[in-house]
Amino acid sequence: MRQINSKMVEARVVPGQRLFSQRGAMLACTGDVTFTPNIVGGQGGFGSMLGRRVANEDTPLMTVEGSGTVLFGHGGHHVHVVELSGEELFVEADRLLSFEGSLQQSTVFLGQQGGLMGVVRGQATGQGLFTTKLAGHGSVAVLAHGGIFELAITPDRPRHVDPQAYVAHRGDVRNKLSTALGWREMVGRGSGEGFQLELSGSGSVFVQASEEKF
Amino acid sequence: MTVDVLDPATLPVDDNVNPYVFCVDLNGEWFLQKGKMIAYYGDIRFDGLGHGPLDGLVAASFHSPLHAGHWVVAQGRGKLLLADRAYDVNSFDLEDGNLNIRSGNLLAFQPGLALKQSIIPGFLTLIGTGKFVAASNGPVHFVEPPIRVDPQALVGWADTPSPCHHYDHHYLRGFLGGVRALTGIGGASGEEHQFEFTGSGTVLMQSSEALMPEEAVGAVGVAGEQGRGVPGAGVPQQAGGQPGQEGLGGLLGGILGGR
Repeated sequence: MRQINSKMVEARVVPGQRLFSQRGAMLACTGDVTFTPNIVGGQGGFGSMLGRRVANEDTPLMTVEGSGTVLFGHGGHHVHVVELSGEELFVEADRLLSFEGSLQQSTVFLGQQGGLMGVVRGQATGQGLFTTKLAGHGSVAVLAHGGIFELAITPDRPRHVDPQAYVAHRGDVRNKLSTALGWREMVGRGSGEGFQLELSGSGSVFVQASEEKF
Repeated sequence: MTVDVLDPATLPVDDNVNPYVFCVDLNGEWFLQKGKMIAYYGDIRFDGLGHGPLDGLVAASFHSPLHAGHWVVAQGRGKLLLADRAYDVNSFDLEDGNLNIRSGNLLAFQPGLALKQSIIPGFLTLIGTGKFVAASNGPVHFVEPPIRVDPQALVGWADTPSPCHHYDHHYLRGFLGGVRALTGIGGASGEEHQFEFTGSGTVLMQSSEALMPEEAVGAVGVAGEQGRGVPGAGVPQQAGGQPGQEGLGGLLGGILGGR
């Protein structure tokens, strides 16, 4: 996948290697490319589909096959291409513009990451209780509102991110919701930054230059 | 960080101030779409198209009664700033050329160009030599045919043969396809309808499918959000339908004598 400009990516489709993309996100295509709505909503079988439905991570996807090039973009949102080489990317399903079929897609329960606090965090970030995990080798195009940038996370240097500006993270990263609530919040004079997402471990986090969620 | 304060001398000449604002160095006349001027320096008058001193100019460069109500002529000297809802704005030069552009995306053009209605509903054709300013959601991307483009991502095309509709519904074939088509199970890919360009030339695309709200001018009757801005989608219009037959459109129509 290749970034054409801030809002458009180009993907090459070769026979035998499929691509998943959000429905309706194709801008243009050359060559002999077909778009088939994917009932299952991604990889895996019927069980995976049920899992996604239950987890509300079932953004309608379509399968792109054939040979040629496809341009993707959606809704005027910024697009960022993430190259994965063996690590894991955690991202909300509705932010996934397209991803290569070589990646394994699965749904994870946020409670696994920090128990009850993970659930609270999911609510605060708008992620809900579940999120989508992509693992393997390949590229992913992620949507964001406003420009997107990647911040490194090292074990000795955790990052704090506004939950609304959080887009995705990759690598071995633990995240928890840290609160900075005091009496000011109680009397309605808060700074508006009472909840923050604290990410620690080794990897990186993608942040958008906007606090507008999808 | 320093911020330069712009004045008439430091404003760019016929160039972008930033990706979202374009500055026209006006000395004479320009056509612009209503409401796209955000500021100006100098002595500039804005006149609607109609009977009056602009008759000659309008007769020479404006051949679209349907859009007459949405365009004005700026005349005078000065710096004119154009913008449109924070969309990316760019100017393009045409040299004895022929370019088709989505009507909502065209902001302004020099009278050296003649504006006509494209035979494709919802699009305008510019013929001649001169500069025009167009808006797009995200930077404009130029591609060469053969290519198939999502109708809503299409900004315009130059020098190519007229596009045709391409319907891609191969997945509705066979038994499963039949079940799918009958029951709607599985949904649609949203990419069944594309515009296909062949031949040589250039196709201009915007990087998103979000459209500018468009005036219902010359567009074939469409139903719902899905069909918005997609000529040929939805219900075909009957011959009796007379879009744009209102306001100044009728007035210019009167001038042009055709309607």
